[in-house]
Amino acid sequence: MTFNLKNVCFLLLASALAACTAPEAINVSGSSTVLPAVSKAADQYSSQTGVSVIVNAGGSGGGFNQLAEGQTDIGMMSRDITVGELEKFSALNFKEIAIGRDAVVPSVSSEIYDAGVTALTLSQISDIYAGRVDNWLEFGGPDRAIYAIDKEASRGTRQIFMTVVMGNPKAEAPGADLVTGSNNEEQTALTQSDSAIGMLSYAWLNQDVRGLSIITDDGQTVEASLETIRRGDFPFVRNLNVVTRDDIKPSAEAFIAYLLGPEGQKKVEESGYIRVKN
Amino acid sequence: MSRISAMRAYCFGSAIVSVLIVGTILLTLLIQSAPILMADDAQLIGTKWSPGSGQFGILPMLFGSIFVMLIAVSIAFPVGLMAAIYIAETRSSKLRRIMKSALEILAGIPSIVYGLIGVAYLNIWIADLFDLQSGRIILTAGILLGIMILPTFLTLAEDAISAVSVKYRENAKSLGLYRHEVFLSVILPKAKSGIAGAGLLALGRALGETMAVMLVIGSLDRLPSPLFNALSSGQTITSKLGREVTESAFGSPHFSALVFMGLLLVLITILLTIISRYMFRQKDQHV
Repeated sequence: MTFNLKNVCFLLLASALAACTAPEAINVSGSSTVLPAVSKAADQYSSQTGVSVIVNAGGSGGGFNQLAEGQTDIGMMSRDITVGELEKFSALNFKEIAIGRDAVVPSVSSEIYDAGVTALTLSQISDIYAGRVDNWLEFGGPDRAIYAIDKEASRGTRQIFMTVVMGNPKAEAPGADLVTGSNNEEQTALTQSDSAIGMLSYAWLNQDVRGLSIITDDGQTVEASLETIRRGDFPFVRNLNVVTRDDIKPSAEAFIAYLLGPEGQKKVEESGYIRVKN
Repeated sequence: MSRISAMRAYCFGSAIVSVLIVGTILLTLLIQSAPILMADDAQLIGTKWSPGSGQFGILPMLFGSIFVMLIAVSIAFPVGLMAAIYIAETRSSKLRRIMKSALEILAGIPSIVYGLIGVAYLNIWIADLFDLQSGRIILTAGILLGIMILPTFLTLAEDAISAVSVKYRENAKSLGLYRHEVFLSVILPKAKSGIAGAGLLALGRALGETMAVMLVIGSLDRLPSPLFNALSSGQTITSKLGREVTESAFGSPHFSALVFMGLLLVLITILLTIISRYMFRQKDQHV
Protein backbone atom coordinates (compact mmCIF):
# COMPACT_ATOMS: atom_id res chain seq x y z
CA MET A 1 0.00 0.00 0.00
CA THR A 2 2.69 2.45 0.99
CA PHE A 3 4.47 1.56 -2.21
CA ASN A 4 1.46 2.60 -4.26
CA LEU A 5 1.03 5.78 -2.33
CA LYS A 6 4.60 6.71 -3.12
CA ASN A 7 3.93 6.21 -6.78
CA VAL A 8 0.86 8.39 -6.67
CA CYS A 9 2.81 11.13 -4.93
CA PHE A 10 5.45 10.91 -7.61
CA LEU A 11 2.91 11.28 -10.37
CA LEU A 12 1.32 14.23 -8.64
CA LEU A 13 4.68 15.90 -8.21
CA ALA A 14 5.58 15.32 -11.83
CA SER A 15 2.33 16.76 -13.12
CA ALA A 16 2.63 19.72 -10.78
CA LEU A 17 6.12 20.40 -12.13
CA ALA A 18 4.89 20.15 -15.71
CA ALA A 19 2.15 22.65 -15.01
CA CYS A 20 4.64 25.06 -13.48
CA THR A 21 6.77 25.54 -16.57
CA ALA A 22 6.69 28.83 -18.43
CA PRO A 23 4.05 29.47 -21.14
CA GLU A 24 4.72 27.45 -24.25
CA ALA A 25 7.60 28.73 -26.34
CA ILE A 26 7.28 29.82 -29.97
CA ASN A 27 9.64 27.90 -32.23
CA VAL A 28 11.04 29.59 -35.32
CA SER A 29 13.53 28.00 -37.68
CA GLY A 30 14.90 28.20 -41.21
CA SER A 31 16.91 30.60 -43.32
CA SER A 32 20.11 31.95 -41.81
CA THR A 33 19.51 35.07 -43.90
CA VAL A 34 16.22 35.91 -42.18
CA LEU A 35 17.51 34.78 -38.81
CA PRO A 36 19.40 37.91 -37.65
CA ALA A 37 16.32 40.11 -37.99
CA VAL A 38 13.95 37.62 -36.39
CA SER A 39 16.27 36.74 -33.56
CA LYS A 40 16.89 40.40 -32.67
CA ALA A 41 13.14 41.00 -32.68
CA ALA A 42 12.61 37.81 -30.66
CA ASP A 43 14.98 38.97 -27.92
CA GLN A 44 13.13 42.20 -27.52
CA TYR A 45 9.73 40.53 -27.78
CA SER A 46 10.66 38.03 -25.07
CA SER A 47 11.88 40.67 -22.70
CA GLN A 48 8.72 42.71 -23.24
CA THR A 49 6.12 39.97 -23.06
CA GLY A 50 7.83 37.10 -21.24
CA VAL A 51 6.92 34.72 -24.06
CA SER A 52 10.00 32.77 -25.04
CA VAL A 53 10.84 32.59 -28.73
CA ILE A 54 13.38 29.98 -29.85
CA VAL A 55 15.05 30.84 -33.14
CA ASN A 56 17.11 28.25 -35.03
CA ALA A 57 18.95 28.27 -38.34
CA GLY A 58 18.69 25.44 -40.86
CA GLY A 59 18.17 26.95 -44.28
CA SER A 60 14.99 27.89 -46.12
CA GLY A 61 14.29 24.33 -47.25
CA GLY A 62 14.88 23.01 -43.76
CA GLY A 63 12.62 25.67 -42.29
CA PHE A 64 9.81 24.78 -44.66
CA ASN A 65 10.09 21.05 -44.02
CA GLN A 66 10.11 21.51 -40.28
CA LEU A 67 7.04 23.69 -40.48
CA ALA A 68 5.24 21.24 -42.75
CA GLU A 69 6.07 18.36 -40.44
CA GLY A 70 4.91 20.29 -37.42
CA GLN A 71 8.30 20.58 -35.74
CA THR A 72 8.28 24.35 -35.67
CA ASP A 73 5.62 27.06 -35.47
CA ILE A 74 7.08 29.54 -37.93
CA GLY A 75 9.43 28.83 -40.83
CA MET A 76 11.86 31.46 -42.12
CA MET A 77 12.52 31.48 -45.85
CA SER A 78 14.71 33.74 -47.92
CA ARG A 79 12.82 32.72 -51.06
CA ASP A 80 9.27 31.76 -52.04
CA ILE A 81 7.83 28.31 -51.44
CA THR A 82 8.35 26.24 -54.58
CA VAL A 83 5.65 24.32 -56.42
CA GLY A 84 7.48 21.10 -55.62
CA GLU A 85 7.40 21.87 -51.91
CA LEU A 86 3.68 22.67 -52.03
CA GLU A 87 3.01 19.40 -53.85
CA LYS A 88 4.87 17.41 -51.23
CA PHE A 89 2.50 18.68 -48.57
CA SER A 90 -0.62 19.27 -50.63
CA ALA A 91 -2.89 18.51 -47.68
CA LEU A 92 -1.70 21.60 -45.85
CA ASN A 93 -2.20 25.30 -46.47
CA PHE A 94 0.74 27.65 -46.09
CA LYS A 95 0.94 31.39 -45.84
CA GLU A 96 3.99 33.47 -46.76
CA ILE A 97 4.45 36.84 -45.13
CA ALA A 98 7.27 39.13 -46.24
CA ILE A 99 8.92 40.85 -43.28
CA GLY A 100 11.73 42.51 -45.21
CA ARG A 101 13.68 42.69 -48.44
CA ASP A 102 17.24 41.77 -49.17
CA ALA A 103 19.61 41.12 -52.02
CA VAL A 104 21.92 38.23 -52.69
CA VAL A 105 25.26 39.73 -53.60
CA PRO A 106 27.96 37.91 -55.54
CA SER A 107 30.87 38.43 -53.16
CA VAL A 108 34.62 38.04 -53.40
CA SER A 109 37.53 37.88 -51.00
CA SER A 110 38.82 41.38 -50.28
CA GLU A 111 42.18 40.52 -51.95
CA ILE A 112 40.41 40.07 -55.27
CA TYR A 113 38.35 43.21 -54.82
CA ASP A 114 41.42 45.26 -53.97
CA ALA A 115 43.24 43.84 -56.99
CA GLY A 116 40.63 45.47 -59.20
CA VAL A 117 37.82 42.99 -59.77
CA THR A 118 34.91 45.08 -58.51
CA ALA A 119 32.23 44.40 -61.10
CA LEU A 120 31.28 41.45 -63.32
CA THR A 121 28.53 40.72 -65.79
CA LEU A 122 26.05 37.96 -65.06
CA SER A 123 27.47 35.83 -67.85
CA GLN A 124 30.97 36.18 -66.43
CA ILE A 125 29.69 34.90 -63.08
CA SER A 126 27.94 32.02 -64.79
CA ASP A 127 31.20 31.19 -66.60
CA ILE A 128 32.84 30.77 -63.21
CA TYR A 129 30.16 28.49 -61.77
CA ALA A 130 29.84 26.49 -64.97
CA GLY A 131 33.57 25.84 -64.85
CA ARG A 132 34.36 27.66 -68.11
CA VAL A 133 36.69 30.20 -66.53
CA ASP A 134 39.04 29.34 -63.70
CA ASN A 135 41.47 32.24 -63.38
CA TRP A 136 40.99 35.79 -62.13
CA LEU A 137 43.33 36.99 -64.87
CA GLU A 138 40.44 36.70 -67.33
CA PHE A 139 38.54 39.37 -65.43
CA GLY A 140 41.46 41.72 -64.89
CA GLY A 141 42.42 40.27 -61.55
CA PRO A 142 45.61 38.61 -60.33
CA ASP A 143 46.92 35.43 -61.94
CA ARG A 144 45.27 33.15 -59.42
CA ALA A 145 42.83 30.27 -59.77
CA ILE A 146 39.24 31.14 -58.91
CA TYR A 147 37.98 29.42 -55.78
CA ALA A 148 34.24 29.16 -56.42
CA ILE A 149 32.10 28.61 -53.34
CA ASP A 150 28.69 27.05 -53.81
CA LYS A 151 25.94 26.51 -51.25
CA GLU A 152 23.76 23.58 -50.29
CA ALA A 153 21.03 23.01 -52.87
CA SER A 154 18.10 23.86 -50.59
CA ARG A 155 19.46 27.23 -49.48
CA GLY A 156 17.31 30.19 -50.46
CA THR A 157 20.36 32.30 -51.20
CA ARG A 158 21.61 29.75 -53.71
CA GLN A 159 18.28 29.41 -55.45
CA ILE A 160 17.94 33.15 -56.02
CA PHE A 161 21.57 33.37 -57.12
CA MET A 162 21.32 30.46 -59.55
CA THR A 163 18.00 31.68 -60.96
CA VAL A 164 19.55 35.01 -61.87
CA VAL A 165 22.96 33.73 -62.98
CA MET A 166 22.21 30.37 -64.57
CA GLY A 167 18.47 30.73 -65.23
CA ASN A 168 17.52 27.78 -63.04
CA PRO A 169 17.29 27.61 -59.24
CA LYS A 170 18.56 24.03 -59.24
CA ALA A 171 21.36 24.59 -61.74
CA GLU A 172 24.40 22.47 -61.08
CA ALA A 173 27.72 24.18 -60.61
CA PRO A 174 30.52 21.99 -61.97
CA GLY A 175 32.94 24.88 -61.40
CA ALA A 176 32.39 24.89 -57.64
CA ASP A 177 35.29 24.00 -55.35
CA LEU A 178 33.51 24.05 -52.00
CA VAL A 179 29.96 23.75 -50.71
CA THR A 180 28.92 25.62 -47.59
CA GLY A 181 25.68 25.93 -45.67
CA SER A 182 24.79 29.07 -43.75
CA ASN A 183 25.76 32.64 -44.55
CA ASN A 184 28.07 32.40 -41.59
CA GLU A 185 29.95 29.45 -42.99
CA GLU A 186 30.14 30.99 -46.45
CA GLN A 187 31.41 34.26 -45.03
CA THR A 188 34.16 32.44 -43.11
CA ALA A 189 35.26 30.55 -46.20
CA LEU A 190 35.36 33.76 -48.26
CA THR A 191 37.33 35.55 -45.57
CA GLN A 192 39.86 32.75 -45.17
CA SER A 193 40.57 32.55 -48.90
CA ASP A 194 42.38 35.15 -50.99
CA SER A 195 40.80 34.19 -54.31
CA ALA A 196 37.25 33.14 -53.60
CA ILE A 197 33.90 34.09 -55.05
CA GLY A 198 30.63 33.22 -53.36
CA MET A 199 27.12 34.41 -52.70
CA LEU A 200 26.09 36.26 -49.57
CA SER A 201 23.11 38.11 -48.27
CA TYR A 202 23.68 41.87 -48.38
CA ALA A 203 23.73 42.11 -44.58
CA TRP A 204 26.72 39.77 -44.36
CA LEU A 205 29.16 41.85 -46.42
CA ASN A 206 32.05 43.46 -44.57
CA GLN A 207 35.66 44.63 -45.01
CA ASP A 208 36.96 41.12 -45.69
CA VAL A 209 34.11 40.05 -47.92
CA ARG A 210 33.23 42.57 -50.61
CA GLY A 211 30.15 42.68 -52.77
CA LEU A 212 30.61 42.86 -56.54
CA SER A 213 28.72 45.34 -58.66
CA ILE A 214 26.81 43.93 -61.59
CA ILE A 215 27.40 45.16 -65.14
CA THR A 216 24.07 45.01 -66.93
CA ASP A 217 23.54 44.20 -70.60
CA ASP A 218 23.34 47.89 -71.52
CA GLY A 219 26.70 48.54 -69.91
CA GLN A 220 25.55 50.12 -66.67
CA THR A 221 27.23 49.18 -63.40
CA VAL A 222 24.80 48.55 -60.56
CA GLU A 223 26.32 48.62 -57.13
CA ALA A 224 24.72 46.64 -54.31
CA SER A 225 23.39 49.23 -51.90
CA LEU A 226 20.25 49.73 -49.84
CA GLU A 227 19.19 52.26 -52.46
CA THR A 228 19.50 49.94 -55.49
CA ILE A 229 17.91 47.10 -53.57
CA ARG A 230 14.96 49.27 -52.53
CA ARG A 231 14.45 50.44 -56.12
CA GLY A 232 14.74 46.87 -57.37
CA ASP A 233 17.64 47.74 -59.69
CA PHE A 234 20.03 45.19 -58.25
CA PRO A 235 19.22 41.91 -60.02
CA PHE A 236 19.22 39.62 -57.00
CA VAL A 237 16.52 41.23 -54.84
CA ARG A 238 14.24 38.94 -52.86
CA ASN A 239 11.68 38.92 -50.10
CA LEU A 240 12.53 37.65 -46.65
CA ASN A 241 9.53 35.61 -45.59
CA VAL A 242 8.12 33.97 -42.56
CA VAL A 243 5.81 31.08 -43.44
CA THR A 244 3.07 29.57 -41.34
CA ARG A 245 0.43 26.87 -41.54
CA ASP A 246 -3.31 27.33 -41.14
CA ASP A 247 -3.24 25.79 -37.70
CA ILE A 248 -0.82 28.40 -36.35
CA LYS A 249 -1.11 28.99 -32.63
CA PRO A 250 -2.22 32.44 -31.45
CA SER A 251 1.03 33.20 -29.65
CA ALA A 252 2.97 32.68 -32.91
CA GLU A 253 0.51 34.87 -34.74
CA ALA A 254 1.07 37.64 -32.21
CA PHE A 255 4.82 37.39 -32.76
CA ILE A 256 4.41 37.77 -36.52
CA ALA A 257 2.26 40.85 -35.95
CA TYR A 258 5.12 42.16 -33.82
CA LEU A 259 7.61 41.48 -36.63
CA LEU A 260 5.49 43.56 -39.00
CA GLY A 261 4.95 46.29 -36.43
CA PRO A 262 7.21 49.32 -35.95
CA GLU A 263 9.55 47.62 -33.47
CA GLY A 264 9.94 44.46 -35.53
CA GLN A 265 10.55 46.44 -38.70
CA LYS A 266 13.18 48.46 -36.89
CA LYS A 267 15.03 45.22 -36.12
CA VAL A 268 14.77 44.25 -39.80
CA GLU A 269 16.47 47.51 -40.68
CA GLU A 270 19.10 47.15 -37.95
CA SER A 271 20.02 43.78 -39.45
CA GLY A 272 20.92 45.45 -42.72
CA TYR A 273 17.73 44.68 -44.62
CA ILE A 274 14.96 46.84 -46.02
CA ARG A 275 11.67 47.23 -44.19
CA VAL A 276 8.40 46.34 -45.87
CA LYS A 277 6.17 48.54 -43.71
CA ASN A 278 6.80 52.11 -42.64
CA MET B 1 5.78 -11.40 -5.63
CA SER B 2 9.05 -11.55 -3.85
CA ARG B 3 11.49 -8.73 -4.09
CA ILE B 4 13.99 -10.88 -5.98
CA SER B 5 11.62 -12.00 -8.70
CA ALA B 6 10.44 -8.41 -9.15
CA MET B 7 14.05 -7.39 -9.56
CA ARG B 8 14.60 -10.13 -12.07
CA ALA B 9 11.54 -9.08 -14.08
CA TYR B 10 12.79 -5.50 -14.06
CA CYS B 11 16.23 -6.48 -15.32
CA PHE B 12 14.74 -8.72 -17.96
CA GLY B 13 12.45 -5.91 -19.06
CA SER B 14 15.38 -3.50 -19.37
CA ALA B 15 17.32 -5.99 -21.44
CA ILE B 16 14.35 -6.51 -23.76
CA VAL B 17 13.92 -2.76 -24.16
CA SER B 18 17.57 -2.31 -25.19
CA VAL B 19 17.31 -5.09 -27.74
CA LEU B 20 14.04 -3.70 -29.03
CA ILE B 21 15.56 -0.25 -29.50
CA VAL B 22 18.39 -1.62 -31.61
CA GLY B 23 15.94 -3.77 -33.56
CA THR B 24 13.60 -0.85 -34.15
CA ILE B 25 16.41 1.34 -35.42
CA LEU B 26 17.58 -1.27 -37.88
CA LEU B 27 14.04 -2.03 -39.00
CA THR B 28 13.23 1.66 -39.47
CA LEU B 29 16.38 2.16 -41.52
CA LEU B 30 15.48 -0.84 -43.67
CA ILE B 31 11.88 0.24 -44.22
CA GLN B 32 12.84 3.81 -44.98
CA SER B 33 15.53 2.80 -47.48
CA ALA B 34 13.22 0.43 -49.31
CA PRO B 35 11.72 3.06 -51.68
CA ILE B 36 15.09 4.10 -53.04
CA LEU B 37 16.29 0.51 -53.34
CA MET B 38 13.23 -0.31 -55.40
CA ALA B 39 13.34 2.82 -57.52
CA ASP B 40 14.37 2.05 -61.09
CA ASP B 41 16.51 4.96 -62.09
CA ALA B 42 17.99 6.22 -58.83
CA GLN B 43 21.49 5.09 -59.92
CA LEU B 44 22.60 4.44 -56.37
CA ILE B 45 25.90 2.99 -57.53
CA GLY B 46 26.77 6.17 -59.37
CA THR B 47 28.78 9.30 -58.81
CA LYS B 48 26.10 11.89 -59.39
CA TRP B 49 24.01 13.14 -56.48
CA SER B 50 21.25 15.40 -57.70
CA PRO B 51 17.96 15.18 -55.78
CA GLY B 52 16.37 17.58 -58.25
CA SER B 53 16.74 15.12 -61.10
CA GLY B 54 16.20 12.01 -59.00
CA GLN B 55 19.75 10.74 -59.10
CA PHE B 56 21.28 9.52 -55.88
CA GLY B 57 24.76 8.21 -56.59
CA ILE B 58 26.30 7.38 -53.22
CA LEU B 59 29.79 6.49 -54.39
CA PRO B 60 31.41 9.88 -53.64
CA MET B 61 30.12 9.72 -50.05
CA LEU B 62 31.00 6.07 -49.52
CA PHE B 63 34.46 6.60 -50.95
CA GLY B 64 34.89 9.77 -48.87
CA SER B 65 33.97 7.98 -45.66
CA ILE B 66 36.43 5.16 -46.28
CA PHE B 67 39.19 7.45 -47.52
CA VAL B 68 38.93 9.78 -44.53
CA MET B 69 38.85 6.79 -42.20
CA LEU B 70 42.00 5.36 -43.78
CA ILE B 71 43.87 8.65 -43.39
CA ALA B 72 42.74 8.95 -39.78
CA VAL B 73 43.80 5.41 -39.03
CA SER B 74 47.19 5.72 -40.69
CA ILE B 75 47.88 8.71 -38.46
CA ALA B 76 46.39 7.44 -35.21
CA PHE B 77 47.58 3.84 -35.26
CA PRO B 78 51.35 4.22 -35.55
CA VAL B 79 51.47 7.15 -33.14
CA GLY B 80 49.03 5.55 -30.74
CA LEU B 81 50.77 2.20 -30.76
CA MET B 82 54.22 3.64 -30.14
CA ALA B 83 52.91 5.84 -27.34
CA ALA B 84 51.04 2.90 -25.82
CA ILE B 85 54.19 0.78 -25.86
CA TYR B 86 56.16 3.60 -24.25
CA ILE B 87 53.62 4.15 -21.49
CA ALA B 88 53.16 0.47 -20.78
CA GLU B 89 56.78 -0.59 -21.02
CA THR B 90 58.39 2.15 -18.95
CA ARG B 91 56.26 0.62 -16.20
CA SER B 92 56.02 3.83 -14.25
CA SER B 93 52.64 3.97 -12.58
CA LYS B 94 52.94 7.72 -12.13
CA LEU B 95 53.52 8.34 -15.84
CA ARG B 96 50.70 5.98 -16.68
CA ARG B 97 48.30 7.74 -14.35
CA ILE B 98 49.10 11.20 -15.72
CA MET B 99 48.97 10.09 -19.35
CA LYS B 100 45.77 8.16 -18.86
CA SER B 101 43.90 11.00 -17.25
CA ALA B 102 45.10 13.41 -19.92
CA LEU B 103 43.93 11.01 -22.60
CA GLU B 104 40.55 10.59 -21.00
CA ILE B 105 40.08 14.34 -21.02
CA LEU B 106 41.07 14.40 -24.70
CA ALA B 107 38.61 11.64 -25.51
CA GLY B 108 35.88 13.53 -23.72
CA ILE B 109 36.15 16.77 -25.70
CA PRO B 110 32.99 17.19 -27.79
CA SER B 111 33.62 16.72 -31.49
CA ILE B 112 32.26 20.14 -32.40
CA VAL B 113 35.19 21.65 -30.49
CA TYR B 114 37.61 19.71 -32.67
CA GLY B 115 35.60 20.91 -35.65
CA LEU B 116 35.93 24.54 -34.63
CA ILE B 117 39.66 24.16 -34.13
CA GLY B 118 39.77 22.55 -37.57
CA VAL B 119 37.94 25.47 -39.18
CA ALA B 120 39.83 28.17 -37.33
CA TYR B 121 43.39 26.82 -37.49
CA LEU B 122 44.07 23.41 -38.97
CA ASN B 123 42.48 24.14 -42.34
CA ILE B 124 44.50 27.34 -42.72
CA TRP B 125 47.78 25.67 -41.74
CA ILE B 126 47.18 22.90 -44.24
CA ALA B 127 46.30 25.37 -46.97
CA ASP B 128 49.57 27.22 -46.28
CA LEU B 129 51.59 24.04 -46.06
CA PHE B 130 50.49 22.66 -49.40
CA ASP B 131 49.94 26.07 -50.98
CA LEU B 132 46.26 25.39 -51.61
CA GLN B 133 43.38 27.78 -52.11
CA SER B 134 41.54 26.26 -49.21
CA GLY B 135 42.28 23.74 -46.51
CA ARG B 136 38.76 22.34 -46.48
CA ILE B 137 39.86 19.07 -47.95
CA ILE B 138 39.81 15.34 -47.33
CA LEU B 139 43.30 15.40 -45.82
CA THR B 140 42.29 17.98 -43.20
CA ALA B 141 39.28 15.91 -42.23
CA GLY B 142 41.47 12.81 -42.01
CA ILE B 143 44.09 14.50 -39.83
CA LEU B 144 41.45 15.98 -37.54
CA LEU B 145 39.78 12.62 -37.23
CA GLY B 146 43.14 10.96 -36.58
CA ILE B 147 43.68 13.33 -33.67
CA MET B 148 40.19 12.60 -32.40
CA ILE B 149 40.51 8.82 -32.38
CA LEU B 150 44.07 8.81 -31.09
CA PRO B 151 43.14 8.91 -27.38
CA THR B 152 40.59 6.11 -27.73
CA PHE B 153 43.04 3.90 -29.54
CA LEU B 154 46.00 4.78 -27.33
CA THR B 155 44.28 4.14 -24.05
CA LEU B 156 42.74 0.83 -25.14
CA ALA B 157 45.96 -0.39 -26.74
CA GLU B 158 47.84 0.52 -23.59
CA ASP B 159 45.32 -1.43 -21.52
CA ALA B 160 45.86 -4.43 -23.75
CA ILE B 161 49.63 -4.29 -23.28
CA SER B 162 49.45 -3.67 -19.54
CA ALA B 163 46.96 -6.49 -19.13
CA VAL B 164 49.52 -9.08 -20.16
CA SER B 165 50.20 -11.00 -16.98
CA VAL B 166 53.42 -10.21 -15.11
CA LYS B 167 54.33 -13.90 -15.00
CA TYR B 168 55.01 -13.96 -18.75
CA ARG B 169 57.22 -10.95 -18.42
CA GLU B 170 59.18 -12.42 -15.53
CA ASN B 171 59.54 -15.83 -17.08
CA ALA B 172 60.84 -14.26 -20.25
CA LYS B 173 63.28 -12.12 -18.31
CA SER B 174 64.52 -15.09 -16.34
CA LEU B 175 65.34 -16.78 -19.60
CA GLY B 176 67.82 -13.98 -20.15
CA LEU B 177 65.98 -12.23 -22.98
CA TYR B 178 66.73 -8.60 -23.70
CA ARG B 179 64.02 -6.10 -23.00
CA HIS B 180 63.06 -5.64 -26.66
CA GLU B 181 63.00 -9.41 -27.07
CA VAL B 182 60.67 -9.75 -24.09
CA PHE B 183 58.35 -7.23 -25.66
CA LEU B 184 58.45 -8.38 -29.27
CA SER B 185 58.27 -12.12 -28.75
CA VAL B 186 56.26 -12.42 -25.53
CA ILE B 187 54.20 -9.34 -24.70
CA LEU B 188 53.21 -8.25 -28.18
CA PRO B 189 51.83 -11.62 -29.33
CA LYS B 190 49.75 -11.76 -26.14
CA ALA B 191 48.46 -8.21 -26.52
CA LYS B 192 47.96 -8.42 -30.28
CA SER B 193 44.27 -9.20 -30.32
CA GLY B 194 43.52 -6.55 -27.72
CA ILE B 195 45.36 -3.95 -29.78
CA ALA B 196 43.48 -4.99 -32.89
CA GLY B 197 40.21 -4.71 -31.00
CA ALA B 198 41.17 -1.22 -29.87
CA GLY B 199 41.91 -0.38 -33.48
CA LEU B 200 38.51 -1.53 -34.65
CA LEU B 201 36.72 0.46 -31.98
CA ALA B 202 38.66 3.53 -33.10
CA LEU B 203 37.74 2.76 -36.70
CA GLY B 204 34.08 2.71 -35.74
CA ARG B 205 34.40 6.09 -34.11
CA ALA B 206 36.16 7.47 -37.17
CA LEU B 207 33.39 6.26 -39.46
CA GLY B 208 30.61 7.72 -37.37
CA GLU B 209 32.09 11.13 -36.64
CA THR B 210 30.00 13.92 -38.14
CA MET B 211 30.40 17.45 -36.88
CA ALA B 212 34.15 17.86 -37.07
CA VAL B 213 34.34 16.25 -40.50
CA MET B 214 31.41 18.23 -41.85
CA LEU B 215 33.06 21.52 -41.01
CA VAL B 216 36.39 20.86 -42.70
CA ILE B 217 35.84 18.47 -45.59
CA GLY B 218 34.41 20.93 -48.12
CA SER B 219 31.14 19.06 -48.70
CA LEU B 220 31.61 18.55 -52.40
CA ASP B 221 29.75 15.47 -53.71
CA ARG B 222 32.46 14.51 -56.14
CA LEU B 223 35.00 11.73 -56.34
CA PRO B 224 38.47 13.27 -56.08
CA SER B 225 40.43 13.28 -59.29
CA PRO B 226 42.80 11.51 -59.42
CA LEU B 227 40.94 9.17 -57.12
CA PHE B 228 43.39 9.20 -54.22
CA ASN B 229 43.99 12.92 -54.23
CA ALA B 230 43.57 13.76 -50.56
CA LEU B 231 44.08 17.44 -51.33
CA SER B 232 40.66 17.84 -52.93
CA SER B 233 37.37 18.54 -51.21
CA GLY B 234 35.06 15.65 -50.62
CA GLN B 235 32.11 14.39 -48.67
CA THR B 236 31.53 11.58 -46.21
CA ILE B 237 28.28 9.78 -45.51
CA THR B 238 28.02 11.45 -42.12
CA SER B 239 28.73 14.95 -43.39
CA LYS B 240 26.20 14.44 -46.17
CA LEU B 241 23.56 13.33 -43.68
CA GLY B 242 24.40 16.21 -41.39
CA ARG B 243 23.95 18.71 -44.17
CA GLU B 244 20.92 17.35 -45.93
CA VAL B 245 18.70 15.49 -43.53
CA THR B 246 16.77 18.56 -42.44
CA GLU B 247 16.10 19.72 -45.95
CA SER B 248 14.72 16.45 -47.30
CA ALA B 249 11.03 15.82 -46.76
CA PHE B 250 10.16 12.71 -44.76
CA GLY B 251 9.14 9.93 -47.14
CA SER B 252 10.65 11.46 -50.29
CA PRO B 253 13.18 9.54 -52.45
CA HIS B 254 15.78 12.05 -51.26
CA PHE B 255 15.12 11.14 -47.63
CA SER B 256 15.11 7.47 -48.49
CA ALA B 257 18.50 7.74 -50.19
CA LEU B 258 19.93 9.49 -47.14
CA VAL B 259 18.53 6.78 -44.86
CA PHE B 260 20.04 4.14 -47.10
CA MET B 261 23.47 5.71 -46.62
CA GLY B 262 22.82 5.70 -42.90
CA LEU B 263 21.97 2.02 -43.11
CA LEU B 264 25.23 1.31 -44.93
CA LEU B 265 27.14 3.11 -42.23
CA VAL B 266 25.36 1.15 -39.49
CA LEU B 267 26.10 -2.12 -41.28
CA ILE B 268 29.80 -1.29 -41.62
CA THR B 269 29.94 -0.32 -37.95
CA ILE B 270 28.14 -3.50 -36.89
CA LEU B 271 30.58 -5.53 -38.90
CA LEU B 272 33.53 -3.78 -37.24
CA THR B 273 31.97 -4.31 -33.82
CA ILE B 274 31.45 -8.02 -34.44
CA ILE B 275 35.03 -8.42 -35.58
CA SER B 276 36.35 -6.50 -32.58
CA ARG B 277 34.17 -8.51 -30.18
CA TYR B 278 35.58 -11.66 -31.67
CA MET B 279 39.10 -10.40 -31.12
CA PHE B 280 38.48 -9.35 -27.54
CA ARG B 281 37.01 -12.75 -26.79
CA GLN B 282 40.07 -14.48 -28.14
CA LYS B 283 42.22 -12.38 -25.88
CA ASP B 284 40.19 -13.37 -22.82
CA GLN B 285 40.63 -17.04 -23.58
CA HIS B 286 44.38 -16.77 -23.72
CA VAL B 287 45.12 -14.68 -20.67
